[in-house]
Amino acid sequence: MDPVIETKGLTHVYIDADNNQVTALGGIEMQIEPGEFVAIIGANGSGKSTLARHFNALLLPTEGNVRVHGLDTLEEDNLWKIRQNTGMVFQNPDNQIVAAVVEEDVAFGPENIGVPAEELKQRVEDALRAVDMLEYREHAPHLLSGGQKQRVAIAGTLALGSDCIVLDEPTAMLDPKGRKEILNTMRKLNKEQHITVVYITHFMTEAMQADRVIVMSEGKIAFQGTPKEVFSRVDELETLGLEAPLAAKFAFELRKSGAKIPDGIITNEELADALSSR
Amino acid sequence: MLDITLGQYYPGNSFIHRLDPRTKILTTLLLIVAVFLANTAIGYGALCAMVLFIIAVSGLPFMLVLKSVKPLLFIIVLTLALHALMGQGEHVLWQWKFIKVTEEGLRLGVQMAMRLILLLMISSILTFTTSPIVLTDGIEALLRPFRVIGVPAHELAMMMTIALRFIPTLMEETDRIIKAQTARGADFDSGNLLVKAKNMLPILVPLFISAFRRADDLAIAMEARCYRGGEGRTRMHQLAYRAGDVMAFVFAFVMIGLLAFLRWGLL
Ligand SMILES: Nc1ncnc2c1ncn2[C@@H]1O[C@H](COP(=O)(O)OP(=O)(O)O)[C@@H](O)[C@H]1O
Ligand SMILES: [Mg+2]
Repeated sequence: MDPVIETKGLTHVYIDADNNQVTALGGIEMQIEPGEFVAIIGANGSGKSTLARHFNALLLPTEGNVRVHGLDTLEEDNLWKIRQNTGMVFQNPDNQIVAAVVEEDVAFGPENIGVPAEELKQRVEDALRAVDMLEYREHAPHLLSGGQKQRVAIAGTLALGSDCIVLDEPTAMLDPKGRKEILNTMRKLNKEQHITVVYITHFMTEAMQADRVIVMSEGKIAFQGTPKEVFSRVDELETLGLEAPLAAKFAFELRKSGAKIPDGIITNEELADALSSR
Repeated sequence: MLDITLGQYYPGNSFIHRLDPRTKILTTLLLIVAVFLANTAIGYGALCAMVLFIIAVSGLPFMLVLKSVKPLLFIIVLTLALHALMGQGEHVLWQWKFIKVTEEGLRLGVQMAMRLILLLMISSILTFTTSPIVLTDGIEALLRPFRVIGVPAHELAMMMTIALRFIPTLMEETDRIIKAQTARGADFDSGNLLVKAKNMLPILVPLFISAFRRADDLAIAMEARCYRGGEGRTRMHQLAYRAGDVMAFVFAFVMIGLLAFLRWGLL
């Protein structure tokens, strides 16, 4: 099958306020396969948001190209198809809800592409049920919790018919409960509805739940792999300004001091097992 | 927590609540015409009876509707007083030096006051029985035919929708900023108007910065969700006229007919 998202030599140069060129992305090569749950991590300013916006044709490559479901984002005719296929969820839950009633907001996307009323109602209902927000359909968004607002935003992309959802630090402004809600919702959508998920986060515990982790640094992919592979590279993460999960750091330090601890320990459970089996 | 109810919607499920918003807007306009036609005591009596009848059908508390007159009470009293005291006419009821109250002047004053009260009550019934969101839909639908002469119906409705969505958020934020500034010793209550206005600056500046940031974010989020203006857009909730709407229109036209008859007789 074709990759859902494929970038070739993707380069993005911003012109900042002082007319300087800022290279935010420098030749990114990546592929995201259907049904994958990919986490993207990286220090502030490493280019994660810029990359995410290319997946939705909100930004266009300065050089190279991006294909979404095989459609080149540089071709104007593909624009609406691409934006339907990949939904976006942003960081600030307040600033992406358009309407003053939950269900009206979820309907906003499909209304824009001209879905007829009957089908629209069905889509909105299905989308709200999928994120477990159906009972709030007639609520005012400003009275919802952060996690609930983000779930409404996720429902908005589902109602649009997206089979790939790109989330740019969706949990950065949420409390721990809200964070859990969002991650669980996305994992459920990934498992049950085979939605491809691109999940940008600065919480390593969230990235650990992904199928694959991509580490960004200064507009490039520093390295990538399974959470096990990525998070056992404690040293390298640290030089990129990222902190490995506590268990991985602990195992790493123990190994450095000569203890016989197997590679690839990233969770507390794995660490406990390794320690107790000695 | 701030509890912000926008407009003055009074939720309910009455016949009036369930009318199509377009019907409510148009019949309100028709009834306003009827008010301007009234020029006899019987006419005003009929209009008062009509307002009472509508309030009864709508299930709104009478006092609630009456209170909508309050903001303009001063102007109503002033209108009444000016007409009564400055009136011309033969039948002097009361006189003190150069001030005289004539029957004609008093009658005109009462008429004007009645007119204002009726207008306020009729239009407030519209906003009491229609949520701002539905009202926006109604306004958009009614303005749509005027797009050919350049009225940006969809854009106006979108603006109202976004305003309705963000006013509560911005109010909460204002509240938060005020609390934060107060905690740092800012004083918003004392001083003359100029001092007060100056003291508001530390609230307004962060509020504006955040509002622009929000506008930026929202524009991108809307684009990501395929927003491209009103062209080709459908709506989940479609407006539809029902039997009740026909009845409301008939009622409004009967009122206009009655008031026109009372004014001009059978032409
Ligand atoms: N609109 C912009 N104009 C100029 N430079 C920008 C703009 N947006 C982002 N940048 C720069 O691009 C780089 C990557 O930013 P971003 O993609 O937001 O990173 P991240 O999301 O990983 O924090 C940063 O150096 C940032 O300063
Ligand atoms: Mg970012």
